[in-house]
Order: sequence, then C-alpha cells, then structure tokens
Amino acid sequence: MTSLPLPRTERSWTGVMAIVLALAPLFVLESTTYLRLYNQFLIFTLLAIGLNIAFGHTDQLFLFMGALAGGAAYVMAVLSQDVLGISPWLMIPVGMAASGALGALVSWVSAKRKLGVILISILTLNLQLALGEAYVGLRGITGGSTGYSFVGLGLDTVGSALGVNRFAVLSYLLIVFVVLAQLVYVKLIAGKYGLAFEAIREDDLAAASIGIDVVRYKTVAGFLAAALIGLAGIMMAEFQGTVLPGDYGFAAIDVMVLIMLIIGGIRTTFGPVVGAAAVFTIEELLSPVGQWETAVFGALLIVLFLYFRRGLMPVLSNGVDRLRDRDESSPGVTDGHS
Amino acid sequence: MVATSTLIAVGIDGIAYGMFLALLGVGITLVFGLGEVLNLAIGMFAIFGTLMAHYLSTSVGLGSAPAFLIGIAVVGILGVAVDRTLLSLVYRSDGEERILLGIFVTLGLSILLEGTLTNFFPSRYSLSLGLPRITVIDITIPGSSILVIVVSAVVLVALFAFLRGTFLGKAARTVFQDEVGALLIGVDPRRIRAIVFVLATLVAGIAGVVYGTTATLGVTDGFQFTIFALIVSIVGGIRSIEGTAAAGILLGVVATYANFFIGAYLASIILFMTAVIILLVRPVVEA
Repeated sequence: MTSLPLPRTERSWTGVMAIVLALAPLFVLESTTYLRLYNQFLIFTLLAIGLNIAFGHTDQLFLFMGALAGGAAYVMAVLSQDVLGISPWLMIPVGMAASGALGALVSWVSAKRKLGVILISILTLNLQLALGEAYVGLRGITGGSTGYSFVGLGLDTVGSALGVNRFAVLSYLLIVFVVLAQLVYVKLIAGKYGLAFEAIREDDLAAASIGIDVVRYKTVAGFLAAALIGLAGIMMAEFQGTVLPGDYGFAAIDVMVLIMLIIGGIRTTFGPVVGAAAVFTIEELLSPVGQWETAVFGALLIVLFLYFRRGLMPVLSNGVDRLRDRDESSPGVTDGHS
Repeated sequence: MVATSTLIAVGIDGIAYGMFLALLGVGITLVFGLGEVLNLAIGMFAIFGTLMAHYLSTSVGLGSAPAFLIGIAVVGILGVAVDRTLLSLVYRSDGEERILLGIFVTLGLSILLEGTLTNFFPSRYSLSLGLPRITVIDITIPGSSILVIVVSAVVLVALFAFLRGTFLGKAARTVFQDEVGALLIGVDPRRIRAIVFVLATLVAGIAGVVYGTTATLGVTDGFQFTIFALIVSIVGGIRSIEGTAAAGILLGVVATYANFFIGAYLASIILFMTAVIILLVRPVVEA
C-alpha cells in the first residue's frame, strides 16, 4: 500500500538531496569524464521524475520518452537558430510546452478511449518509432542522422568567466532543475492531485463515480511528465552540442529510464534520483568486464526485477527509519517513502 | 509506370516478410494469452535461431538441413531453460504485477542475450541456400521467399491444428479462456504454459532460420523484431491467434509496398501510424 508523502518531511529531504547533489561535483571539478557522467545522471534523473508521474502515479506507461525529449530539443534549437534567431533560453519553455502538449494529447486520447497500461505502452511505442523515423527523415530541417548542430545556451562563456569547465556549469543548472522538479512533484503528490491519482489507480470507475474527472487528471499528469521529459531532452542537446536522433532512441532513453525508475522505486519521491545513480554506478563498475558489460547488465537487471521489484528506495528509507528509531525512541513522524 | 510483374514480385516479398512477422506475433500472443507474460525477448530467440543455424552450417560444417533443424532445437532448449528458471519466478505473482514483472524480466533477458551473442557473432550473417530464382510468366521471385512462405504457412497451419485438434491444444485453449475452470477440470495451467512457451520459442527459431535465408541479419535486429512482433500481436488482438497471423501478413505487405514506392523513412512512419490508428479506432479487447 502506498501512502501519500508528507509535504514537510519530503521537502526537507529534498533540501538534503539538493545539498548532496551540489557538493558532489566539487570533488571532480578537474575531471571532464566524471562531470560528463554526472550531467548524464542528472538528465536521466529528470527523465525518471517525468516517468514516475506518468507511469508511477497514473499508470500511463510512456514509451515515447525519447521522441518527446528529442522533439522538445528540435523545437527549441530549430526555432531559436533557424526560424526566430533569438536566444535558445527563451525557447526552452516553448520546447517544453511542445512536448507537454503532445504528452497531454496522448493522455487525453488514451483516457477517453480507456486504454490500459499495455495498450498505452504500445501506442506510445508506435509514436516513438514514427517520430524517430521523422527526425532522421526530415533531413532539410533536422539535419538527418548526422544531427542538427546547436550552438548552445552559452554556458562556455559563463564557465570561462568563472574559470571552470562548462560541464560544471551545466551540472549546477541541472541540479537547479532537478530540485525544482522534485518540489513540484512533492507539491503535486501531497495535494489533491496525489489523492486523485491514488483514487484513479485503485479503481478509476469508483473514482469517476465520486466526481473525480479521470480524463482531466490523467491529461494533466501527461502534460507535466512530458514537459519534464522535454526539459531533459533540451539539456541533452546542450550537453552534446548537437541534436542527434541517435541520442533520443528507444533503447538509449526509454529502456534505461524505465530500468532506473523500477530499480530506484516507483511512486517514491527519491526513487528516480536513486535509480539513476544506481544504474550509472552499475555501468561504471561494469566497465572492467569490457565487452561482457551488456550481458552482465542484463543479468543484473533480471535479478533486481525479480528480487527488488519494489526498488531500492523502500530499503533505504527503512534503514533511515531504523537509525532514527535508535536515536530517539519516540515513534514520531514516518517519512512516508514507501 | 511500374510493371505489373514487378508489383506482384514485391507483393510476394511482402507476404514472405509478413509471414515472418506473423510467426513472431503468434509467439507473443500464445504466451501472453496463456500466462499474461509479454515475451519481449522473442526477437532475440529468432536471431538466436539464425545465428545457431549459421554457426552449425559454417563453423561446424553440418549440411544446411541438419544445421537448421539442430539450430531450431537449440532455441527450444534455451526456451525450456528460460521457462524453468525465469518464468517460474514470474508466475509466482498475479494480475498486473505479473504483467509488469513479465515485461521487465523478458526485457532483461533480451539485453542479456544481446550482450552475450554480440561477443560471439559481431557482424551480420545470412543463411544462403543458393535457391534459384523462379520465373513464372514474367514474374521473377527469389526461391528463398517461396521457402519462407511455405514453411511459415505449414507452421501456422500445424499450430492451428494443434490448438483445435489435440487434447493438449484444447486444454491450452481452456486455460486461455478460464484459468480457474481449467484447474477445476484437471488441467495443470503451469504445465500447459511451459509447453506453449517452448512451442513459441521454437516457432520464433523457425522464423529466424527461414527469414535468415532471405536477409542478412545481425544481433541488433533482435530488438527490432520484438517491437514489430509486439505491434503485430496488439494490432491483431492480443488474444486472437488468427487475428495476429492476419495482421502480420497485412503489415508485412503494407510495409514492403510502402518501402518500394515511397522509400524507407516515410514507409516506416506510415506503418507505425497505421498501427496507432488501428489501436485507436478498433473496439479494443483490453488485456
């Protein structure tokens, strides 16, 4: 049984998370390799937060995260460089709105048609493949498979002014986005939306009968999730310095994000960040096995899915609870991470 | 203007591709219908069949026919192993949890197989049989396309006959319709599921081997095949084997013609959007 997070404890834990995230890059400021890895981890955390809203809380298994992320990146880059010739910063909300609108449309249609989790996954998978082909095929606009070169948000200049690597600047920008996304998430889930999501997940017919507008709630969830996924896609373009269709594929994004969310703990506030960290750590630790990396990774996934299907987060929060119980014998507040 | 004979030749290639998709789709449908497990590794089983047949015929030096048969048998053995281990663990849970666990475990299996096979088979392979092209009136058809169509048709008919005619098949259909009812009349659903899962992997192995005679395949195609099979199975109705077979052939023909007339990118977009539209307009039987 899931319980709603208590906004105050979750908010203070978000503060702890923000501090940990902000301190981590300080140890690796000189290493471009680690900063790049850290940026990727933060981008995937944003993606996983988006999937947690859509899939975790409203059973909408979005398998077109790559297409949404890529779409937002193309909208942002092409509009700012080719069409309007203005700063890409101004186009970030536009890109997010574009992917958000597509997500909302898909959610609206599937809620109206009462599609279950498997059919939504197949529907979105088809959209993913169609859009993926379009990104490569519309060579005149997107540059095809060689990519659309994107000048960037100007973090190089900020970096050189501060005397640090541009990836360090990107890290802190991403940390701000991740923390904001967490705060939005906590506010959403702890409020009436969280209650409605819970009711719809338990029994959508019963939820509708007590006056919950199922279609509207699912559409809002689809919009928010897709907008966050779009933001992650835009940051990916900044990270790569180009919008490359290969970076936004099903295997590169959707499969990885799904794995992260399940391993971290679905429907938990910190599952996405823990899951993303776990998967990137596993990948780093596996690099000595060389060409066997993928095989070992697959085997590990099977074990994790079979034996840790609720994710790492419940294990971690139980540990925290036990520590706290030892410190103060009063039962006090539970942090509701389950 | 395209000659009619070319149109027919393209159509026959399309049917061959469609039959291949139909076999994979039926493999997914059977297993899902019986045990609510969506086998996301099915494409990898097919590729495994192609690679085994290739290995046995080139490196081991067996003749084509024994190499192909043993290759398919090896796929079946892998199927048994997966059923005994992974699926037994998946079947312990129920309902939606089992559906999701099935998706994730077979996804993990697909990654495991891909990662393992890439080490041994890094490039792309074909199982050329050197079959002659056949010319009827004006129409030239590769012999291998005929082989795919004939073998797939035989396998599909045999599968239908098995489900309709044999006791085991009837028992399987009982489980399909009502698991509790099946238990009450003495059918063991777990045993039926095991048999049908292995059967589905054998069908995938056959599909991989015969399709390998018309195309050059590599490990990375496996995931692609799984996705197409999934689309076919869902478009055809996840509980209907006949529907899945028909959808496979239809989508194969549409894809091949579209590819011929308007090129690969637009053809793929049309194919995927067709699937989206079918999903949305058809009265959906919810899984």
